[in-house]
Amino acid sequence: MDAETTTIKGACPQDCPDTCAFIYSVKDGRLIDVKGDPKHPVTRGRLCIKLNDFTAHHYNPDRILYPMRRVGPKGAGEFERITWHEALEEIKRRWTSIIDEYGSQAIMPCSYLGQQGVLNGISVGDAFFNRLGSTIAEKTFCGVGRDVGTHLSIGPSEGVDLESTVHSKYIVLWAMNTLSTGSHHWPFIDEAKRNGAKLVVIDPLRSKTAAQADWHIRIRPGTDAALALGMMNVIITEELVDQDYVEQYTLGYDQLAARAAEYSPERVSAITGLSAEDVRAFAREYATSGASFIRLGTAIERHRNGGDAARAISCLPALTGAWRHVGGGYLGISLNAFPLKWDAMCRPDWIQNGTRVFNLNSLGTALLEAQDPPIKSLMVYNSNPAVQAAEQERIKKGLAREDLFVVVSELFVTDTARFADILLPATMQAEQTDLMFSWGHFYFSYNNKAIEAPGEAVPNTQLFRLLAETMGFNEPEWARTDEEMIRDFIDWDSPYMEGITLEKLKENGYMRVGIGDKDTRAPHAHGNFPTPSGKCEFVSSTAAHGNFVPPPFRAGYNGFQDGGYIDPVPNYVPPFESPESSPELAARYPLNIVSPAAHGFLNSQYANEPKQMRRQGDSVVIMHPTDAEARGIAEGDAVRVFNDRGGFVGSALVSNDTIPGVVASYLGHWASNSRSNSAVNSISSDRQANLGRAPTFSDNLVEVAKAQVV
Amino acid sequence: MPYVVTENCSGCRFTDCVEVCPVSCFHGDGDRVYIDPGACIDCGACLPLCPVKAIYEDYDLSGEQEKWIELNAAIAPTLPTIRKKLPLLDGAEARRASIGF
Repeated sequence: MDAETTTIKGACPQDCPDTCAFIYSVKDGRLIDVKGDPKHPVTRGRLCIKLNDFTAHHYNPDRILYPMRRVGPKGAGEFERITWHEALEEIKRRWTSIIDEYGSQAIMPCSYLGQQGVLNGISVGDAFFNRLGSTIAEKTFCGVGRDVGTHLSIGPSEGVDLESTVHSKYIVLWAMNTLSTGSHHWPFIDEAKRNGAKLVVIDPLRSKTAAQADWHIRIRPGTDAALALGMMNVIITEELVDQDYVEQYTLGYDQLAARAAEYSPERVSAITGLSAEDVRAFAREYATSGASFIRLGTAIERHRNGGDAARAISCLPALTGAWRHVGGGYLGISLNAFPLKWDAMCRPDWIQNGTRVFNLNSLGTALLEAQDPPIKSLMVYNSNPAVQAAEQERIKKGLAREDLFVVVSELFVTDTARFADILLPATMQAEQTDLMFSWGHFYFSYNNKAIEAPGEAVPNTQLFRLLAETMGFNEPEWARTDEEMIRDFIDWDSPYMEGITLEKLKENGYMRVGIGDKDTRAPHAHGNFPTPSGKCEFVSSTAAHGNFVPPPFRAGYNGFQDGGYIDPVPNYVPPFESPESSPELAARYPLNIVSPAAHGFLNSQYANEPKQMRRQGDSVVIMHPTDAEARGIAEGDAVRVFNDRGGFVGSALVSNDTIPGVVASYLGHWASNSRSNSAVNSISSDRQANLGRAPTFSDNLVEVAKAQVV
Repeated sequence: MPYVVTENCSGCRFTDCVEVCPVSCFHGDGDRVYIDPGACIDCGACLPLCPVKAIYEDYDLSGEQEKWIELNAAIAPTLPTIRKKLPLLDGAEARRASIGF
């Protein structure tokens, strides 16, 4: 007799702005289908090409189902099954011995947003490691540079509601390939277009999104701030400023105008590669369309001047008064509308005074060079730094140290997990409970556990309960259930939570935070910026405090902040590596490289699914015909991309989809599945952007040559 | 890598696919729908919604089925865009059952 099929509300766990509402179908305790919830106002029943096969991903035969111990050489990925008891006892023995000999700061966590839940996501291990007294890992892989930049100008604004963008008249998608990395915004853009809006996409590459634009503006990587300052120059020179808005709701107009005066369209043209006439036309159209809307992608920050680029761009809507209009203004992330109690999640009160901080963008350096004490143990969860982080070869060399005790909790044996001494099995989303925020829309979503975990896999919350018990921590917090933790982690009394209860969330699957009506909301029509002055600060009063990373991205800690100089007014600074700014380096490595998200992968996740691998193919190296011809490279040739840091092999894709001097290769391919046993971040520098310690993945020079067939 | 509508679509017009499409790339006549490969952005939204499994990724098609790649490309641009669900054709449910779904 057939068992009944039950449906259960859930939500997507991935690091993506869209956070889709799921409906799981379960029969006989087995997940048989994961679909989008058609009632969700933003995600509307559609998932994406990555998540359409989420059921199969749960039952992928390569899942790690039991704790394992390394039996082969470091990095070989050879393991034997052990019990949870054995795994935990081994961790206790090694960590206790390290703490006795070197102190607790010889242990460091490495995590990020491989899972995005309030429970199992970015902060899940922070309380444990703060209690243990580890080195603080600063995790700024994605978005923090942009958000620190805009924090200086508009504060932690929630930004424009993407549902309001049906009312926009001029839409600028800047440094964002919406159709591959957040496509649920698209129907709103499509509706705005049908209502007469113009769509502009700014990207050096002709992405899927750029191909759909009314105007694709192509500028050289890392020159966005110059374009924004050039727009300001035109807006001011041609008297397109909203003087009334500027007088009432902004701070420091004269200083901004003086800075913009340095960026004539002709100078901006020389920097960006865009013609001076196009700089003028773009500025005029942007300033005179009323409800002009800019959505700024994470890629904006991935170069030396990344934070300031975001900051300059975020000043534009105040200069022209775009904020006055429904659907006008700026959206970076919507996360600030979710009242999370980060201190309850991270427990900075458990951090010992004087605890040091290492930024995970320089993980290789931390593993190879840290002293007093050196890093003797690394625990990796929710992340795959061997592929995702810069200086891949140094990370691998660090992970391969015989004296480094590596613990990895994972779904699959990733390039990082191959280096584990102890490998622990983690659950996938249908097997766990979680509450999901969003950084694109304004809906909290509840992920009800739908099926039992396979094998001996545990959710991250349970992993850290087990580790706390193993290490002898006896605070009452470790005894909480998942639901009790959710209750503790949300400020239920916040106005954002009006009308929202945990019970309703569980039942409905998602609920909109109290942010105002999408068809009338204009959050900064009358200023009300969450800055010290309450105004949009063209001259930042926060800049004097120096560079910083918001505490949620450093385990709640505010000690040992960077403190580096911040220009009070947004500026353009040339990239670290480009033919213009580093001609000597460019003599050897003349091509800039960018590494956008692949359509079929989510960072390195799903890049081990046969269907996605077939869809995405092997690594490609997109080259402009003039660059390919100059090197005797033809379409399909195996080519090696390299610089002094490393290299990888891909197939040449000769195309006008990129501009001369810029090559591109998609992020996410697993090194262990690649012809060269390396991936695109082998060439990436671990230098940080000027604000928020963001990575500089788009600020690297390389050379490309035909490869020996491997 | 566009998606392709194959013969199972004919005579049903369930059209769950058209409303979920974020780029409105479905075009249709009185009998069925086609995908414009120039507009399809490979999001995969439509595929799981088709109750008669008429939609495929182009590389999943082989042999006799491959003709649908060219047919979609040729026919879609000549027909009107379909954005909203259409009335079900008479006999659609019976046809669906007859082809095993």
